[in-house]
Amino acid sequence: MAETAVDKSQSLAEEYYVKDKQTAVVEKPVEVKEVENPEEAASEEPVAEKTVEETTPVAPAVAQESSEVTPPPAEESTEEQSSGNVEENSGNEDAAEETPEIKLETAPADFRFPTTNQTRHCFTRYVEYHRCVAAKGEGAPECDKFAKYYRSLCPGEWIDRWNEQRENGTFPGPL
Amino acid sequence: MKFEWLFLTIAPCDAAEPWQLGFQDAATPMMQGIIDLHHDIFFFLILILVFVSRILVRALWHFHYKKNPIPQRIVHGTTIEILRTIFPSIIPMFIAIPSFALLYSMDEVVVDPAITIKAIGHQWYRTYEYSDYNSSDEQSLTFDSYTIPEDDLELGQSRLLEVDNRVVVPAKTHLRIIVTPADVPHSWAVPSLGVKCDAVPGRLNQISISVQREGVYYGQCSEICGTNHAFTPIVVEAVPSKDYGSRVFNQLIPQTTGEA
Repeated sequence: MAETAVDKSQSLAEEYYVKDKQTAVVEKPVEVKEVENPEEAASEEPVAEKTVEETTPVAPAVAQESSEVTPPPAEESTEEQSSGNVEENSGNEDAAEETPEIKLETAPADFRFPTTNQTRHCFTRYVEYHRCVAAKGEGAPECDKFAKYYRSLCPGEWIDRWNEQRENGTFPGPL
Repeated sequence: MKFEWLFLTIAPCDAAEPWQLGFQDAATPMMQGIIDLHHDIFFFLILILVFVSRILVRALWHFHYKKNPIPQRIVHGTTIEILRTIFPSIIPMFIAIPSFALLYSMDEVVVDPAITIKAIGHQWYRTYEYSDYNSSDEQSLTFDSYTIPEDDLELGQSRLLEVDNRVVVPAKTHLRIIVTPADVPHSWAVPSLGVKCDAVPGRLNQISISVQREGVYYGQCSEICGTNHAFTPIVVEAVPSKDYGSRVFNQLIPQTTGEA
């Protein structure tokens, strides 16, 4: 059993390393064209190496994509952006291998609700979604955005209660 | 091995230590600002304390009845009155400027958050929801967080602070925490993160944090919520973004498989 596991892990690691190397080779001319400053070019090389080394066969898509969407701190924005570019392509290749994607994105901050109290924000997003569904029909792609927003902001119990009220026709909002 | 105590001393203080008087070590810019403000104000407080104490002791000494048997009849001093009205009023103004700056910078939502976590208070446990990855209303990454009873504690764990399921957040990422209760008022407070937010029934309160270093941070309920108010702790674990992605992915797989 141990030997079998070892063989599998080695083969998986080898496959990923080979792919990463190919990806790096493909990306180099693109980056060279884009990059004008030698400093950035020098900084990108260690980043690429780190990317190759840090890749794990367990869940590479998740790890890479999770770092993609993360908003970088102001100080490290340059470095993380370059690493993001590297990871995007490899992420796409991994996505082709039937791996579910997880993106770090959520409902944005709304200037209508700048205070600590976000109760109306949650309610408004819920109403917006159902207005969108009423206008464009069930399953419209434009409405998915609003659905994500209200699911991020509203507790599950609130949503259940509102769904029940909508079915009973007693929902107090302007649908 | 002889110098092990040195490294233990240097380790960050992210949980209350016995008889601790000072702050826990900061993990967010907000808490760092609070600590700096406290140190600045405390400096002036010490100056004022020394100055006032000196005047008081000097008055007691020089106006002792043995030294001055006949009390003086001092009626009024215009200059000293003006001075001790103007100077004391200037001091709070200089304290207010950095205090207000910090207060309003804490409230401001500067950037769009990357993650929203809902902390739902119950008597006497907490429910956490990660709903950014749902594709329907029924699907949700939700778990309960109960305190570990004193009898079940293992060596090295803190009494009254440990929970069975921790909140896991990525470090160096802007987070939005929505705080609300399901029954009575609670408060979500984590000293190292510099946050304390009341959970008011029927209301969603929002706090924005950005954890700057990886670690485990402890907090407790800070609004009296009943008999076991002291047994409702909060534990936040900050991990690298890649680890966070792996954890969420692993927790979502079973649900997806279950649905299929």
